[in-house]
Amino acid sequence: MIGAADLAVLFVWGTAVGVDLVTGPQVMIARPLVAGAVAGWLLGDPGTGLLLGVLFELFQYDVLPVGASRYPEYGPATVAAVAAAHGVSGPAGLALGALVGLATGVAGGASLGIVRRLNTAAVRAAAPRLESGDPRTLARLHAAGVARDGARAAAVTALGLGLAALARTLVAGTLAPSALALAAAAAGGAALAAAMNGTLRLVGRGPDVRWLAAGVVAGTLLVWLR
Amino acid sequence: MTPPLGATFLRLFGVQASWNYDRMIGIGVGLAEEPLLRELGRAEGDAVYRAAVGRGAGFFNSHPYLAGLAVGATARAEYDHVPPEQIERLRAALCGPLGSLGDRLVWAGWLPFVSGLAVAAAVLGAGPAAVVGFLVVYNAGHVGLRWWALRAGWDHGMRVAAALHAPALQRAARLTAPAMAFAAGLALPAGGAALSGVEPVWARAVFIGVTVAGLGVLSWLRTMVDGARLGLAATALALVVGGLLW
Repeated sequence: MIGAADLAVLFVWGTAVGVDLVTGPQVMIARPLVAGAVAGWLLGDPGTGLLLGVLFELFQYDVLPVGASRYPEYGPATVAAVAAAHGVSGPAGLALGALVGLATGVAGGASLGIVRRLNTAAVRAAAPRLESGDPRTLARLHAAGVARDGARAAAVTALGLGLAALARTLVAGTLAPSALALAAAAAGGAALAAAMNGTLRLVGRGPDVRWLAAGVVAGTLLVWLR
Repeated sequence: MTPPLGATFLRLFGVQASWNYDRMIGIGVGLAEEPLLRELGRAEGDAVYRAAVGRGAGFFNSHPYLAGLAVGATARAEYDHVPPEQIERLRAALCGPLGSLGDRLVWAGWLPFVSGLAVAAAVLGAGPAAVVGFLVVYNAGHVGLRWWALRAGWDHGMRVAAALHAPALQRAARLTAPAMAFAAGLALPAGGAALSGVEPVWARAVFIGVTVAGLGVLSWLRTMVDGARLGLAATALALVVGGLLW
């Protein structure tokens, strides 16, 4: 059980992480590895935070945030995932975290589109004043954009933390450990598949494939030697 | 005359805050350019200042870290009394190159490179220190690129294309792709080992099976399925099957 104070801190952290993704300052606290590690540290559970950070960082490799593309939002999702997995040891925690985080990530991605449409409507309404070069209109529109994204990030984080509480009550208590281990294996496998897919798309079929292969060999050796 | 770049530099960190389908990041670019134009207004009057602010808030799209290049260049062009239609053409001409260069250099290069190293380091024993290292190293490049872009834009004005051909930038663009590939290669087995390491031995066969099948699904159905939906479907299906089996 996570106390109200911890929930409040996670809510603030998740909101900050959500705002960092697009609005700014884009210092990459929105990356799952960072969002998860800090969420785990805030709960006094750094191992869980780091593990779920790695899980969602692998999912993130499948995302290339160019132009108006639509993509899942994994920052607040990872914070919610850590909340779901906190105190649930082993594969069960990974399964709960993956389930909550992936659902939150899809919802977060959809919410980005809503904010973009609201921004578009506001800009259209203010078009004549913008054309006249009114700096106050410019500042107001921009501040409204920040506020909209802040509200969006807060709503996504709240949804994720709510889902985490629900999953801990409904899923963790009713399913056998083996069923949760199966789900953890499925989530981990999907994350690795997403990471491989995204990496292969980035690397392409050119000469950099050799560097990718060298990295895989070196990484495998390092894991084996650990 | 060189107006202070500090306020513009800080505003560039939020250049995407009012992202919209009509002007993309144009509002953010206009807001970032506005402090640079104040001195112009004081010297040449409110009408000149407002006309320049209005132009600055028009349609613009680029990689957010390189938007400063356009901000600096167009503000400098306003000071140099370049005709408005030429400034509009400069903005339009910069969208494509700044977008593709930034995507290649940052989203497909520097970010996955540092992230890959951080994942591998975190799994191989560095733990939370890898996360701190990621933030420090990534943002050294990030903040440095933003500052370089603004400075280069202001220095070059209408000749800003020359800045895009700077040898250091070209070398960085060449080096990030293989470096990213190698770091991502390190992260894949490290990440896989971390995730499969917490599972019982029998579940590792499921892990491998889902990885192989998932890669096939994502490759063949790339327009319909993304990683999140694949993960959600696989996890939910496994919970249902597990609930029925045990």
